[in-house]
Amino acid sequence: MSPTRKVTFGLALTPSATHPEHTIAQAQLGERSGFDLVTLLRAPGQVVDGWTLLSWIAGSTERIGLLGQLACLPSEMPTVTAGAAASLDLLSQGRLTLAITSDEPSDDNQHPVEGVEETLDIIRRMWAIGEPGTVRYTGNVHRVDGAQRGPAPAHDVPLLITGDSPELLRLAGEKSDGWLSEINGSSLDRFIAGSTLIGHTAVANGRDPREVPKIVTIRGTFADTRGGFLHGRSADWVDDLLPLIVDHGVTTLLLATEENAVLQQFAEEVAPRLRDAASSLLPAQTRTGRLRKSTAIAQRRSGIRYDDVPDLLVDSAIEPGDFDFPRVKSTYLRGGSPGLVLRTRTVDEVVAALGFAREHPHLPLSIRSGGHGISGRSTNDGGIVINLSLMNRIDVLDEATRRVRIEPGARWMDVAAALQPYGWALTSGDYGGVGVGGLATAGGIGFLGRGHGLTIDHLRAVDMVLADGSRVRASDTENTELFWAVRGAGANFGIVTAFEFEVDEVGDVGWAQLGLDATDTAEFLEKWGHTSEAAPRDTTSFLIMGPPRHGQPALAQLMAMVDSANPDTIIERLQPFANISPLYSQSVQLMPYAAVMANAQGESNGGQGEPVTRSGLLDHITPEFAAAAARLISSGTVYFFQIRAVGGAISDIDADATAYAHRSANFSVVAFGSHRQRLDAAWEELYPFFTGAYLSFETDPRPERLTDAFPPATLARLREVKARLDPDSVFRDNFPISIPTLTEATS
Amino acid sequence: MIDYGHDLLFGAFITPTNSPPMHAVDMAIAADRAGLDLATFQDHPYQPSFHDTWTLLSYAAARTERIRLSGNVLNLPLRDPAVLARSAASLDLLSGGRFELGIGAGGFWDAIEAMGGRRLTPGQSIEALEEAIRIFRGIWATDATGRLVVDGSFYRVNGAKRGPKPAHDIGVWVGAYKPRILRMTGRAADGWLPSLAYLPGGPRDLTAMNAHIDEGATRAGRDPRSIRRLLNISGQFSATGRGLLVGPPEQWVDQLTGIALEYGISGFIVTADDEATIQLFAEVAAGVRRQVAAERG
Ligand SMILES: Cc1cc2nc3c(=O)[nH]c(=O)nc-3n(C[C@H](O)[C@H](O)[C@H](O)COP(=O)(O)OP(=O)(O)OC[C@H]3O[C@@H](n4cnc5c(N)ncnc54)[C@H](O)[C@@H]3O)c2cc1C
Repeated sequence: MSPTRKVTFGLALTPSATHPEHTIAQAQLGERSGFDLVTLLRAPGQVVDGWTLLSWIAGSTERIGLLGQLACLPSEMPTVTAGAAASLDLLSQGRLTLAITSDEPSDDNQHPVEGVEETLDIIRRMWAIGEPGTVRYTGNVHRVDGAQRGPAPAHDVPLLITGDSPELLRLAGEKSDGWLSEINGSSLDRFIAGSTLIGHTAVANGRDPREVPKIVTIRGTFADTRGGFLHGRSADWVDDLLPLIVDHGVTTLLLATEENAVLQQFAEEVAPRLRDAASSLLPAQTRTGRLRKSTAIAQRRSGIRYDDVPDLLVDSAIEPGDFDFPRVKSTYLRGGSPGLVLRTRTVDEVVAALGFAREHPHLPLSIRSGGHGISGRSTNDGGIVINLSLMNRIDVLDEATRRVRIEPGARWMDVAAALQPYGWALTSGDYGGVGVGGLATAGGIGFLGRGHGLTIDHLRAVDMVLADGSRVRASDTENTELFWAVRGAGANFGIVTAFEFEVDEVGDVGWAQLGLDATDTAEFLEKWGHTSEAAPRDTTSFLIMGPPRHGQPALAQLMAMVDSANPDTIIERLQPFANISPLYSQSVQLMPYAAVMANAQGESNGGQGEPVTRSGLLDHITPEFAAAAARLISSGTVYFFQIRAVGGAISDIDADATAYAHRSANFSVVAFGSHRQRLDAAWEELYPFFTGAYLSFETDPRPERLTDAFPPATLARLREVKARLDPDSVFRDNFPISIPTLTEATS
Repeated sequence: MIDYGHDLLFGAFITPTNSPPMHAVDMAIAADRAGLDLATFQDHPYQPSFHDTWTLLSYAAARTERIRLSGNVLNLPLRDPAVLARSAASLDLLSGGRFELGIGAGGFWDAIEAMGGRRLTPGQSIEALEEAIRIFRGIWATDATGRLVVDGSFYRVNGAKRGPKPAHDIGVWVGAYKPRILRMTGRAADGWLPSLAYLPGGPRDLTAMNAHIDEGATRAGRDPRSIRRLLNISGQFSATGRGLLVGPPEQWVDQLTGIALEYGISGFIVTADDEATIQLFAEVAAGVRRQVAAERG
């Protein structure tokens, strides 16, 4: 995050060489007393290692900001420093600021200022994980020769410069995120001169001088009588310090003290008064809001009125030049480069974001929850993304009826983990990283499907924001037509801000992974199809095959869940599958559903390009289908081929009860290829067998896919709702259904 | 049968992954609660998916109560030995004597050079490590008179102030495999920390390696028993036994007891990135302790 303009207060501690634990205790006291920041002073001849202490402080505090001060020694590699700082920022959840200074010039240290500049440059490059290639850098002091970038810190760690030589001041003005200096009674003029030079340099480099805030260390004595700068009563301190803030652009005061009494008096009597006084004296635009770096402004895309982003969203909006952009530009399977990502935290913010997006009708608009869209283009190029990932609460509304409210940004593994303590589960899919928003508006074909239906079959109500910005609730009793449409085609009608589900009681489950011989692929598929249809509803299995592997027998990977905690039942259910063909590998475990879903730890949304997939829903695996599928698999056109068992409870629901209408299917088939035309051509052979498609797994952009996803009666009904609720096609990133010519083209 | 006469230590070798950021810390806390003696992390500063091991050690030490922490092993070529010595002493002080210094001469030289480190031959890297150990001990020797001077070919310290004084006698444990560095370990270190996975002949290789350490120690006038022998291990807990360290906990107990008694290993550090493994290994630890104590009599 870029610097905000409010005044903050820090504590500057001198570490003790024999009792560093005292320093830790002071930092903790500082946190309790309301200080925003703690730093460790570097005393000449100091032997205690400040970084170790600061890391320990990070581990023994919760909230307080951490200002690390580094002297650039030629022997220390900025690449390693970058990693250390990123780690501390990650471990402390974004609490770090880093100040760099030169060490005394010496035989080993002949270019101290270059050392600082090079350190700054190298750290920034190591953190720029969105940039291509490795880091190469040749300086006078440091050389980097192809280092891998990363890790990036948790937030945009400000890099400050300490020092008052003209070279360092210019460097601070040109490149730094702030200047750290010291003020005492006699050095005020030097401070002002330094500050002025920094301001001029910043402007000369096309920067806003406010991009280089001033952080100053102060030291003083509380006494009953006035005796010079910061010597006197609390009120005298306020008199001395206020001009620094109001007239000289100081944003942070660091109190250097070893005495707890001084610390506390400052926290209780000086800091609050300065905060109040500053907020009434500082000009309005410096009190709130966020200052974006000039380098970021230079990367804005055309056609977006960035300066009109609603107040509510200013703090959390991410632009292409912002630190967080590399983390949000792409999704799990798709590369993107949007012009603006609006992160919403409340329904009000969703309404505001949608209103802003609607002022840009010519730009692509993507709605994103978990970022695992395949059909859903939840990123774009140059357009707007409304990102709901921060809206991820999971609340139990009523234990007796197992009613649970889930926000769209939650992930299915988190949902599973939250329900487990109640002995409940909600069927979702095979991957815990998938988000609730995209899946629960489309279907939800999961491992409990045959026994418990689709995810949408458990949906009882939704809260939505519609295209016109209105907020509605849809259920079986209100906005019923919308409620029907949301369950299968939800992405077309608005932004769901909360889902209410009735979840099921589910105990531990049997979880099996079997590697089976599939040399005769067609025969294998057919047998698996029969076995799967014949299995009781408590058993749902997904089958995966990869491309042919040279000189090795074809192998099928079977993942099966048995909704039973009884080992004998589990074995009995799995045996017919194990009998299909020779077994290469097997693992069967009894575990909570949530443990099966916990399979997406630490993943990141670093997709590139576009996923190339096709989907089909199938009633039975006939010999003819099996033969065609076997040919497709052996052709090498697909690198991932999966058939999932559906049917069972999913088929109990009437076709017209929800917009997901293909209820007769017993199988969902999906193929991933690397080449659009080639996959589409190969798919032609399978196409005649299908009764329809699951839209979530379909990426063919041709409009006739719409009629695969929705049978004619469903599509006609969806068009009516679309015409009524979204006549301008605001929502068009995932199977948009109001292409006017489509009805004629396909009927 | 060799017995160097150390009490047994059991620890966890935890991947210092930075995603999710707290994983490694949580594992260290789990190991602490389970009653293991050591939480250790490898150190590869050029690996973007890992935390900086020093920062992680300091943070994890603050979050734990009782367990000792160590790099397994720290990467000397990317760390300044004088800074490392002061950092180690600082962490030892803060943690009340819970820090041990596992250190290695460096291995992935392409990656080290890419980061701005100096490429050394294996021979040079051993010499550099021995110089670094002199610097560690010199910085920690706050009772010695005069400032520290080490005039090595790789590291030079010219009159540095000593200190801080660690809370306990920090063990310098070297990750080593080849005869030359094993002899150096015998000459200069307090412990030896190899990984079983890198021994082509399995535990049997330990006999010859121990002999090199013993030789190095004896030649330097040290008692070979003053060098603790530890071993990184990995395996799998499963219902049925299938070879070395794949099987039920009782089988692990027998096998580790055998290695302890046969090769004088007094520290076992298991690859553990989940709580279940940590728990089971704590059970194994209790079993091995009992059996070894019974055998030692
Ligand atoms: C690895 C992987 C495994 C999968 N496994 C399964 C599975 O087992 N079963 C299954 O059924 N599906 C599965 N899917 C498909 C998945 O359900 C869809 O891709 C789904 O859209 C992802 O939801 P999301 O919120 O993560 O996606 P996002 O990318 O955030 O959104 C995708 C689309 O959904 C719409 N959308 C998102 N949030 C909302 C909202 N709040 N209101 C209205 N519309 C919204 C938007 O149109 C958006 O473009 C899988 C996908 C992946 C990548």
